[in-house]
Amino acid sequence: MNAPPATEAAADDVTTRGRRAVPWQLPLLVSLVAVASGCALSLGTPYVQLYRLPGALRDADSTLAGIVVTELRLPRLVLALAAGACLGAAGLVLQEALRNPLAIPEMLGVSSGAAFGVAAPLVLAVSIPVAVQPLLAIGGAVLGGGLTLLAAGLGRSPSAVLLTGAAVAAALQAALLVLMVMADQLDLQLIYRYLLGSLSARTWDDVTGLWPWLLVAVPALVLCAPVLSVLRLGDEDAEALGVRAQRARLAALAIAIVLIAPVTAVCGPVAWVGFLAPHLARRLNPGATAVGWLPWSAAWGAVVVAVADIPARLALVPVETPVGAWTALLGVPAGVALLRSGRRRPTAPRRAAGSVAVSLEPPGPRGSEPSPETPGHGHRQEPGGEPGWAAEAGEAR
Amino acid sequence: MNRRFGALVALVVVCACAELLAGRGLSPSVVADVLGGGGDATERHIVFQLRLPRLLVALGAGACLGVAGLVLQSALRNPLAGPEVTGVTPGAVLGAVTATGLGLAGWESPLAVVVAACVGGCTGATLLWLLAGRGRGDPEQTALHGVLVSAVLGGLTAMVLLVAPGELGSVVQWLVGTTEGRVWQHWHLLWPWALAWGAAAWLLAGPLTLLRCGDELAAAAGLATGRARSLALLCAVALTAGAVAAVGALGFVGLLVPHVAVAVFGADLRVSLPGSALVGAAVVCGSDAAAQLLSRLLAAALDFGRLTLPVGALTTCLGAALLMVVVRRAPSRTF
Repeated sequence: MNAPPATEAAADDVTTRGRRAVPWQLPLLVSLVAVASGCALSLGTPYVQLYRLPGALRDADSTLAGIVVTELRLPRLVLALAAGACLGAAGLVLQEALRNPLAIPEMLGVSSGAAFGVAAPLVLAVSIPVAVQPLLAIGGAVLGGGLTLLAAGLGRSPSAVLLTGAAVAAALQAALLVLMVMADQLDLQLIYRYLLGSLSARTWDDVTGLWPWLLVAVPALVLCAPVLSVLRLGDEDAEALGVRAQRARLAALAIAIVLIAPVTAVCGPVAWVGFLAPHLARRLNPGATAVGWLPWSAAWGAVVVAVADIPARLALVPVETPVGAWTALLGVPAGVALLRSGRRRPTAPRRAAGSVAVSLEPPGPRGSEPSPETPGHGHRQEPGGEPGWAAEAGEAR
Repeated sequence: MNRRFGALVALVVVCACAELLAGRGLSPSVVADVLGGGGDATERHIVFQLRLPRLLVALGAGACLGVAGLVLQSALRNPLAGPEVTGVTPGAVLGAVTATGLGLAGWESPLAVVVAACVGGCTGATLLWLLAGRGRGDPEQTALHGVLVSAVLGGLTAMVLLVAPGELGSVVQWLVGTTEGRVWQHWHLLWPWALAWGAAAWLLAGPLTLLRCGDELAAAAGLATGRARSLALLCAVALTAGAVAAVGALGFVGLLVPHVAVAVFGADLRVSLPGSALVGAAVVCGSDAAAQLLSRLLAAALDFGRLTLPVGALTTCLGAALLMVVVRRAPSRTF
């Protein structure tokens, strides 16, 4: 925010510039994608051996295996990869724009808004064409995100935005739960599955519905990535460098919404991908800036969702479990492990990511602790003091 | 201070009266008649077997959550620590849902649900304790790990619900928090539990006030900070688990009621702890009455046959609005 931490971050950039990316990142990524794709296409009922996959793909219409692979498993895999990439990229954009490592779509009201937009017509028994669904989701996401930004005010600190976002998300969740209480048993099952993020029974129609949005979002991402790495220095330094910080932040949030809403419309709010993927990308490329992280974040998001979809489909056969539950179950321990290993080695690559958060919360004695002698002032402590959100700063130190 | 307490007690009484009068089925005059000793068997049953226990459960649960939230926030020195973000509420929900889903407990055996919720709440808190590891003295890390633990427990709850889908309908009510259909049995389980742990929290009020001032200051004043903090956390977990078992996960009550209490009564916990209990009781009870009125209005307006607005939805919306006000009012602060 102010000069000293920002220069600290800049100095940190200089020292980390020399660090190389982890060399085994690309092979690991490629092999994970390959294994996940192989499993996704071959496992299940009927089991299609790996060597029969090319044949099944070639005569798609004649054999049972061909139909299953091309019409059911392939679109699902493609959707998983695309959704994961979108969520990973959106997570990185949000975190960089708000300069907060805990800014994830679920916490800004964007995901819950989109889910609300999709679930409401389902419960109220309003029939709508499939093509309109992403629009409804975008409407909901804009409602959620916009409410957050309006309530927080545009000129506010990133963490105020985040806290307000948590409140908006909770309110939208409550609205969703009211809808669920109103719904009958069958709708309830559908909505519940959808709300956890599910890829079951998605077809090529759902995949093709994503492309137009991606066409809009990808060029915008490319344009906005360099600005993001400038925003990282702090608002004042960014302004000094000729970036209109508020406008850039708003644009970044809009892009994130355009990335998240269509995905949420198709497969529900898949949790924690937007948190896990950017952190993996940062950990493995400590020297890079936002521009360098963006593709890796998207790639890791795709891998995470594709890998998590395999147990979602197969773990409790014949019941399908939602992929979002698995990303939460697998992703959160991974996140904890990331945080812990970062703590053990204080000079570890996390420093690069952590410095962002450090600049949020200047170190030093924390003021405004209430003393028992001054009642009435105690409540002023409530939002201040110990920010849970900037906790990562503490991790990195 | 006494005047403030008086006003608050009056508010609680008003909320309780509103709660008694709010339900559908009986008009206020009939309720007054029944309370005066009149009325026929059905009316007496409605008032004494349905509305009165519901009112008491709402009051008790609100008080529990208010106290638990204040104890947590003081012990962790984290203004954002409510039972909802420290893994206690999600754990209790998971315990209750698992017990119900596996057929170990049901609506006809509330005791089993309470026990399961307590076990779950303690599991959540223990998980947080283990995960936070050496950093458990640091409020920021505790809060961060609490969010992560809550996410894991939420995922597990989802899994259980998907394995036992038949229970989904009744369990969703729990996830929001509702006082619908609470009877004397629930109240008889809630009050000894709440009383015991509430008394324990009251005994800890002095040490907690010291903890609020910071570890160094508390240690310098002769307090064994680690032990006091562990005891306080145990208290908070037990109170939250009792409340969740009784009414489900009421959003934001445990997070925001303490802020109101501290704003009104100051940071001395010996005063603000009972204050927080009163505020919590008033908030939950008042929201329940408002939710009943609103659902009647909405049902009339939307021409739905039967529409029930769970009280948890209302408290969450209220809490969200309050949180936004809090954020807006502190302009230059980084959170």
